[in-house]
Amino acid sequence: MDIDDILREVDPTFHAVPQEKRDLQDLTRAWVAERSAPELLPWPANGLFERINDAIKRQIEKVEEMTGDMDPKTNFALIVIQTELERYRYLVRSFLRARLAKIDRHALHYLSTDALRARLSDVELAYATRHQALLHNHYLSSFLSAFPANLQNLNDTAGGMSMIDAPDLETAVFIRLLKDTVVAGRGVDSDADVDGRESDIMILRWSDAKPLVEAGSAELV
Amino acid sequence: MPMYGDLGNKLVQHAKRTQNLAHLPAYQTELVRAVTREVRDLDRDTKNLLEPFQGSFDPSADQATACTLLVNHLAMRRNKRCLLAYHRTRTDKLEELVWNGVDVLDLAGQQAGGANGAGVADGGAGGSSSLSPQEEDYFRQYGDLLAAYKGQWTDIDLTGSLEPPRDLFIDVRVLKDAGEIQTEYGAINLTKNSQFYVRQGDVDRLIAQGYLMKLG
Repeated sequence: MDIDDILREVDPTFHAVPQEKRDLQDLTRAWVAERSAPELLPWPANGLFERINDAIKRQIEKVEEMTGDMDPKTNFALIVIQTELERYRYLVRSFLRARLAKIDRHALHYLSTDALRARLSDVELAYATRHQALLHNHYLSSFLSAFPANLQNLNDTAGGMSMIDAPDLETAVFIRLLKDTVVAGRGVDSDADVDGRESDIMILRWSDAKPLVEAGSAELV
Repeated sequence: MPMYGDLGNKLVQHAKRTQNLAHLPAYQTELVRAVTREVRDLDRDTKNLLEPFQGSFDPSADQATACTLLVNHLAMRRNKRCLLAYHRTRTDKLEELVWNGVDVLDLAGQQAGGANGAGVADGGAGGSSSLSPQEEDYFRQYGDLLAAYKGQWTDIDLTGSLEPPRDLFIDVRVLKDAGEIQTEYGAINLTKNSQFYVRQGDVDRLIAQGYLMKLG
C-alpha cells in the first residue's frame, strides 16, 4: 500500500468519484506537494501519468473533431473543453518543470544512491544522468582537464566536506492534517508535541512533516 | 605577488554579476586560465615540498611545512570551487536560454547585429562571441537533451508559460514582425504594431521570444 492508496482511503468521496476525476485530484495534489516540498518527491508510480497523457490525447482528438463543426452549440462546448485542456496541460507542465528544477539543482545528490534514484521516473533519470555527464564534460574541457588528477572529481567527500550539494530538509513547509494526530516539531530552543486536529494547518520543518505526509496523515499545501 | 585565491575571487564576482544580468557577459578566458595555472603551480609546489620526505612526512615534526601544505591544499580546492561556481552560473544561464527557445543561430545572429533585448551578446565584445567554444558545444548539447526529454511529452508544451492559464484567448500586440502563423482558425499575419485576439496556446512561444506582448 503506498501513499496514494492511503490518501484515497482518507478521502471520504473516494468511492463516489470516477477514475478521471480522481486522477485530476491526484495530479493536483502531487503538483501542490511537489511545489512546496524542498526535496524531490517520489514519482507517482501507479500509472497516473500514463492515464493523464491518454486523457489529454483523447481531448485533443475531440477538439480536432469538433473544430470543423460550425454549430454554435459545439463551439461553446469546444471552448470549455479547450480551456480545461489548457489547464490540464498547465498542471502537468508546472509539475514536471518543478521536478526538473529540483533535479537540475541537486543532480549528483539524486543520482548518488539507489533509494534517491528510485524517486525519478525513467525519463527523468535518463535526463539527469545525461545532463550531469554534459556538465562534467563541459567542466573538463573548460578547465578541469588541466587540473592535477586527484582534483578532477566532482563528488569528493575528502576533508569532511562533501562536494555534493543536498537540498535543505529543514525548510519550513505548510501542511494540512488529514486526520487527528500528534505533530512532533523540533524548535530552536525546545521541541514540542502538538495534538493536531483534522484540517488543521501548520507550519513546521519539512524533516518533521515528512513522516506525517508519507503516512498519509497530512498533505502539503 | 598576488595572494592565492585573488583570481578565483574575481571569477566569483563575475559570476555574481552575471546572475543579475539579462545577457551573458563575455567568457573570462584569461582569468579561467590564470586560476587553473595557479592550481597547477600549487600542486607542483606541494609535490616539490613532499619530495624529500619520500612519503614519510610527519606533520608534527615539521609544522612549517605542514602549514604550507595545508594552505596550498585549501587554496587549490578553493580555486576549484570558484571555477565550478563560475561555470555553473553560466551554464544555468545558458540552460535558461535553451528553455526560452533561443537558438544557437539566433545567438550568433544577435552577436553580429549588436546586442538587443534578451540576447546573449555582449555589446562591447565587437562581434566576437561571448561564449567560449566549450560553452557553445554545451549549449547545443543541452538543446538536444531538452528536445529528447520534451519528446516524451509531446502533448504538453513543456517550454510553455508557467503562469496559470486564465483565459483561452488573449489580446496580444505585435512588437516585431513575425510573419504568418497558422492557427486552428486560419492564418494570422503578424505585422508590427497590430493587435490580435488569439488562443494563448498558439502564441506562447512568440511571447516568450519577445515577438508579441500580452495585453490586459
